[in-house]
Amino acid sequence: MTMLERSAWYDIARDTNWTPSYVTEDELFPPDQSDPYGIPKSEWETFDEPYKVSYREYVNVQREKDAGAYSVKAALARSTYYEDADPAYLSMLKLHYGAIALSEYAACQSDARMTRFSKAPGMRNMATFGMLDELRHGQIQLYFPHQLVSLDRQFDWAHQAHHSKNWAALVGRHALDDVMMTRDAVTTSVMLNFCFETGLTNVQMIGLSADAANMGDFTFSNLITSIQSDEARHAQIGTPVLEIMVRNGKKAEAQQAVDIAFWRIHRVFAILTGIPMDYWIPLDKRDRSFKEYMTEFIGVQFERQLLDLGLERPWYWDIFLEDVETHHHCQAAATWAWRNTLWWNPTGNVGPRERAWLEQKYPGWSDTFGQYWDVIVENVQSGHPEKTEAIGMPAMCNMCQIPISNKGGTVWKTRAYQLEHEGRLYSFCSTVCKWIFELEPDRYKTFNTIADRMYNGEISPNTPENILRYMGAGVISEGGRDAHDLEWAKAYDLSALSVAGQQ
Amino acid sequence: MSALAIIGRLERDPHTRIIDVDTDFTMQEVIEACLAPAVGYQTRHPKPGATLRVRLTTDGDDAQPFPQDMTVEQANLRHFQQIDIYVSED
Repeated sequence: MTMLERSAWYDIARDTNWTPSYVTEDELFPPDQSDPYGIPKSEWETFDEPYKVSYREYVNVQREKDAGAYSVKAALARSTYYEDADPAYLSMLKLHYGAIALSEYAACQSDARMTRFSKAPGMRNMATFGMLDELRHGQIQLYFPHQLVSLDRQFDWAHQAHHSKNWAALVGRHALDDVMMTRDAVTTSVMLNFCFETGLTNVQMIGLSADAANMGDFTFSNLITSIQSDEARHAQIGTPVLEIMVRNGKKAEAQQAVDIAFWRIHRVFAILTGIPMDYWIPLDKRDRSFKEYMTEFIGVQFERQLLDLGLERPWYWDIFLEDVETHHHCQAAATWAWRNTLWWNPTGNVGPRERAWLEQKYPGWSDTFGQYWDVIVENVQSGHPEKTEAIGMPAMCNMCQIPISNKGGTVWKTRAYQLEHEGRLYSFCSTVCKWIFELEPDRYKTFNTIADRMYNGEISPNTPENILRYMGAGVISEGGRDAHDLEWAKAYDLSALSVAGQQ
Repeated sequence: MSALAIIGRLERDPHTRIIDVDTDFTMQEVIEACLAPAVGYQTRHPKPGATLRVRLTTDGDDAQPFPQDMTVEQANLRHFQQIDIYVSED
């Protein structure tokens, strides 16, 4: 039997819709799950996107992608690559897998919500493939690190992180619960498909893929390139959703969803991507700086997509550009100083050559972040490595759950932005996180940061040992330590640093 | 006397700090409690030898400093309230 060309049947099959007769339209598609914006069904039926794929084609392509990724893994498994790899590079893998692997299952649920509740038949079709994509991403990113658990127990956090109460896991879960898990199908699509997948996964998947290839880790490089090829397809769901919203007078609502999600995911991904790129990858293996990637993917591509859709840059664009040059440097320092709380071993890796590179990529780095590392180096060189481990706690942001830090030194910009709500003081890292809270306080007000839990009795007694245990450090695996055992700090000329520090 | 956690913002320090204080702590003792985990660990003293003062954090960094012998209770500081510890030019 001759098969029809796909073009002869695809649109009809994809656009199949029906009028319910046994239940009402609102029972079939409850507005709070399907479309709280009240856009007519006929408008949703205009949904169209450029990727046309049938289930048969999808399965064939995915099977080939998996075969490619798994065969590279099998080849590398026969080598001693991971036994010999730079421990800081392994930390990048541990951070990635712990943060991302189970997030993919969460994304699967988000796509499932669109598959079930979207009023656009074409969107339901695409989201079905998206759901299958995310299942694959979850499975493959749990399977690959699993072989490394026998090498290093910290790789077990790929499975464990999202079930733990580690503060870094709270950072990811809070953001993803907000943009992926607790919104209607339309808003989820704007936040997940457009902001997260179109906007920010590029930096993680393409940027880190280049660094991984330079490191000779073709398993990881292939893996995330393979994942990104799926993301690039199902991310397309977001664009027609935004077009329909704007066309139907919902530009303000669309803009607000973009503004919330873009900031929330940026705050997480700057840590996930920016720190490894600018600190952990050896200097001669670095592809580009985090800022250079962000400038290309966000400052050029994403911004153009926004404007093409008739939307605006987020109102906080100038704050965002400043954050690209600040946030991950602050958190490189903070996560390193509080490294015993982590599931990876960060490296300071700010030797003289790295410092020169950072100053070149981020002019002014030496006068701000550099002064921080000067104190660390002095402590190492004067025989007090114990003073490189932070004591006490930083304040944590009641939105992004990240330590509240900013530029120190002579340009000191550190501060928490506070507000009182129903008699409780909330602290935020920025006016943007504070703005998000103020939009919907009831949505966020009951969530407690790790610092809140130390004082509300949830972590009791709140001794350092008990706090670490609560977060899984020393339980699931050992907590973090400097990946290079502070060797990088011994290459400095201490007298030069002391002079600089007094200026 | 009771325990209270406030948020310290020490001049030049890139991190905010949660500081455990007692309500009968004077501002001088608050300063010492804020310096303890920071100076020599991740930051330097903002100006060695200079007088440090405590004030509430405001957008303009222009709140009046608390008297050095005022207590936390007298200053009405609340749980997780943010204060500046800064170099006084007076």
